[in-house]
Amino acid sequence: MSAPLLSVTNLSTSFFTSRGEVQAVRGVSFELRAGEILGIVGESGSGKSITCMSIMGLLRSSGRVIDGTALFEGRDLITLDEDELSALRGNDISMIFQDPMTSLNPTLTVGEQVIETILRHRKVSRAEARARAIELFELVRIPSAAKRLRSYPHEFSGGMRQRVMIAIALACDPKLLIADEPTTALDVTIQRQILALLKELQGRLGMAVILITHDLGVIAETADRVLVMYGGMVMEEGPVRELFARPSHPYTRGLLASIPDLRDDTHHRLTPIPGSPPDMLRPPKGCPFAPRCPHAMAQCNAALPPLYDAGEGHRARCWLHHPEAPRVAGITAELVTA
Amino acid sequence: MTAYVVQRMLLMLVTLFAIITLTFFLMHAVPGGPFTSEKILQPEIQAALNAKYHLDDPLWLQYLTYLKGVLSFDLGPSFKYAGMSVNQIIAEGLPVTMKTGALALICVVALGVPLGIVAALNRNRWPDTLVMVIATIGVAVPSYVIATVALYVFALRLGWVPTFGLDDWRGYFLPVFALSGFWISFIARLARSSLLETLQQDYMMTARAKGLRRGTVLFKHGLRNSLIPVVTVLGPVVANLLTGSFVIEQIFALPGIGRHFVLSITNRDYTAIMGITIFYAAVLMVMIFIVDMLYLVLDPRIKYRADAK
Amino acid sequence: MTDTHIAPEMWAPATRDGAAAEYIAAPSLTFWQDVRKRLWANKPAMLGLGFIILLVLAAIFGPLLSRHTYFEQNLKLSNIPPLFQTYEVTDGAGATTRFFFNSGNLNLYEVTPSGEVAGLLRATKKDLIKKQQQFKFGDREVVLDTARQQLSFADGAALAPSGWQWNMSHWLGTDQLGRDVLARQLYGARISLTVAFVATLVNFFIGVFYGGLAGYLGGKADTIMMRVVEVISTIPLTLYVILIMVVFNSGFLSVVLAIGSVYWVDMARIVRGQILTLKQQDYVAAARTMGASTPRILVRHLLPNSVGPILVTLTMLIPSAIFIESFMSFIGLGVTPPEASWGTLTSEAVETLRAYPYQLFFPAAAISLTMFAFNFLGDGLRDALDPRLRT
Ligand SMILES: Nc1ncnc2c1ncn2[C@@H]1O[C@H](COP(=O)(O)OP(=O)(O)OP(=O)(O)O)[C@@H](O)[C@H]1O
Ligand code: SF4
Ligand SMILES: [Mg+2]
Repeated sequence: MSAPLLSVTNLSTSFFTSRGEVQAVRGVSFELRAGEILGIVGESGSGKSITCMSIMGLLRSSGRVIDGTALFEGRDLITLDEDELSALRGNDISMIFQDPMTSLNPTLTVGEQVIETILRHRKVSRAEARARAIELFELVRIPSAAKRLRSYPHEFSGGMRQRVMIAIALACDPKLLIADEPTTALDVTIQRQILALLKELQGRLGMAVILITHDLGVIAETADRVLVMYGGMVMEEGPVRELFARPSHPYTRGLLASIPDLRDDTHHRLTPIPGSPPDMLRPPKGCPFAPRCPHAMAQCNAALPPLYDAGEGHRARCWLHHPEAPRVAGITAELVTA
Repeated sequence: MTAYVVQRMLLMLVTLFAIITLTFFLMHAVPGGPFTSEKILQPEIQAALNAKYHLDDPLWLQYLTYLKGVLSFDLGPSFKYAGMSVNQIIAEGLPVTMKTGALALICVVALGVPLGIVAALNRNRWPDTLVMVIATIGVAVPSYVIATVALYVFALRLGWVPTFGLDDWRGYFLPVFALSGFWISFIARLARSSLLETLQQDYMMTARAKGLRRGTVLFKHGLRNSLIPVVTVLGPVVANLLTGSFVIEQIFALPGIGRHFVLSITNRDYTAIMGITIFYAAVLMVMIFIVDMLYLVLDPRIKYRADAK
Repeated sequence: MTDTHIAPEMWAPATRDGAAAEYIAAPSLTFWQDVRKRLWANKPAMLGLGFIILLVLAAIFGPLLSRHTYFEQNLKLSNIPPLFQTYEVTDGAGATTRFFFNSGNLNLYEVTPSGEVAGLLRATKKDLIKKQQQFKFGDREVVLDTARQQLSFADGAALAPSGWQWNMSHWLGTDQLGRDVLARQLYGARISLTVAFVATLVNFFIGVFYGGLAGYLGGKADTIMMRVVEVISTIPLTLYVILIMVVFNSGFLSVVLAIGSVYWVDMARIVRGQILTLKQQDYVAAARTMGASTPRILVRHLLPNSVGPILVTLTMLIPSAIFIESFMSFIGLGVTPPEASWGTLTSEAVETLRAYPYQLFFPAAAISLTMFAFNFLGDGLRDALDPRLRT
């Protein structure tokens, strides 16, 4: 197989606040191939956004990557300086954010916000950039594109603004698009349209996508591989079909428990598992999920479980996969037979 | 857009009208003030007032006459100085007040905004601390204290600048400094907090995520948005520079409108008090209108909102 | 995967308590506990509050404890500094006289051993041409050269100062009419603070009433009332305070009235905004359907919600009121002599700035420190109440 487009190893990011060190991301590793869609799920605060921000070099000043590498086409993004990174951002790697209502600058026309991106990364004239912007607006299906370039964000609906954001992200044919909950802030019908558009554009343009979402239905429909995050760590990862068919971590099972049928038309938000996520100021030394886990054992509080291989690129961070651990139906039963 | 301009214009006119009316009736309420026939005045002034306002007419008619005068830029005769008109008093003081006021306004914007930016960009580092300490002093210490202390130190002790008057160009330093000190500090604090807030906005993250250069992110996306609140206070700034000139012109013995106004108050020159008040209000309304238009240029959401109404 | 062996008892179900114990989150505080904690932690705000409390106590009790009154004049002892350099002359009979030289008015004043100012020393001879004055102390004679401001004995030997002495009869000296500066300062603080507090209260009530009414009535009435507020807020209010003072003449009551009636628009806006949001909230509708009366709803729901912004506005209004009052007094429109406020004290000090610059220090420092204190407290309150800053 070819070398991965992006390869993240042992990424750790902390925020240094007045109350202490918030360990937002703790040793996350994953790989992404060209043209692949990776879904990241997890409850709020599990470190999904911060993982991506760390890769993009977009952390706010109190946040620092304290360990790990992120190789993008062989270059470690973590060690690049701001000039090198900014030449990549919006060009080879671009990003879409959650809230289209606040992600666009209210005092500049949307056209200007697309055009400035093109002019930053491509040696083209303003007229050419404008032509490209119209092309992009047509690509994301904004009606009467040429006219709408002169509009301001407040003259657009939420869905239309997210289309503008997508146009900006696609302006320079990125190899990797990071979409951080691109539909969470939108109405359900608009959500579907935007997701369909994203999936279609991905098929046409062939870029790799990291799709962060709370919605397991979206993952099932869109992604090739999934990363389940909890407490700043990867709890389980694997190909979508494999992971949905054989969830091998109690947390993932908890997440899936709410979805009776994946082919069901309605999308399901993660129904909350009783309890609350760990305080990242003082993360527990054992399994972060232990306080909420129905199978928690003494060992779980004593030590952090490693990522166990569950076959076919499927891995899970749970002591239940230890050969000496008691078997639990649904999590490890298949392992025995496999 | 036109809706916004018209709306602002209307508000301005209504305010001006309210001020004229309020001023007229307040002055009418003064025992022994103008617009009452029984008083002991120099005959010439009495005659001039009578000729102008027909003091025997009913009140509402006098009011209309006065209003008509104001609308034709005629503020009437002085109540104290025979042969002097309020227009003349204002014209005499205008150059001085305008020069110091305009210089002060320039200082406020040209010093306050950059100081705020420097502070915000160096948050919690020494430039920030320095600016904030100075700005806190500037906001807390009243302008007349700044003025008198500066007068004592720089004019009386060190002799660097004249103690009064504007004949020497150095004479401008202290009045302008005392007049603008508070507002430089205020604007610096406002610009700082506004820029800090803007830097936290999602669209700033978008601008960085697009790979824009640091300077572009800051100046094109950050500054413009963070200046909107600064622009909105420029109206009140002008108002306060005008009223601030009352004490400053007194302390530095500058023959400006502010000094004339205070003199009119001590002399009970009621028509001058009225006239100058209305003049101030008019200047201010024009400034506020200009600021509103500036606001329109800076924030495209405004015209949308106003038109939507 | 090569797994290390793990003791069998480790596979037993975890004891929940042990796991839970690791998650003792910070004790959750109620909003006001949190605010208080954050305010306590804010040193400038606490310093400001401490200063304000001391100031208020001084303004209330200071004039009662003072030996002097704010209006008692003693022209013989005018413009005495708080601190002076004394000279001592011992005559042939062994009697020692202590005195100091006031360079502002070229007088010599006798000082008692305890540091009190006993009175003016009369020159025995004045030579206006040579600019000299002679003073007799028993059989000794001292010459004051007023041009060079030097003291010497009749034989030409220079007279050396014997040391510094704090003015024990007037701790902060006297003003140009010989009134005790400390007594006037304390009295001035009393007036300035009273004006500020009362005017702020008046503003508070007008604002709450007007804003409350607008918010409560809603609809057209609200629109019109808020337009009026908009008009008022574009009027330069200082001008109106001045006009009102012109109409009602200077004096304590008119200052309070003038300031109190003018600066209520912010308060009105806040209260109206709070009422409007409240009206939209479900629990108010619920309370209403359950038969709670309007006053009850206002007290139970409006107050707790609006106390924060109102408190901040009030704390910020007080220094503005102090400032406006002093501003008025400074241009001669405030309280009338012999009454004193920080504004009149400052403007009196400015009159004597050339000869006695130090007289500016006390009123200027008093008002500046007070402004600092209220600003710090107001900023601290705002930060403490800002939910965005809560962690
Ligand atoms: N500026 C910051 N200062 C301190 N801690 C932060 C900061 N930003 C994020 N964190 C912490 O980092 C952790 C991970 O945050 P992150 O935004 O990655 O969560 P997320 O998985 O994206 O959640 P969501 O679904 O809500 O977007 C959170 O626990 C949060 O408390
Ligand atoms: S390691 Fe233990 S606590 Fe953690 S998920 Fe597995 S069984 Fe549950
Ligand atoms: Mg997120």
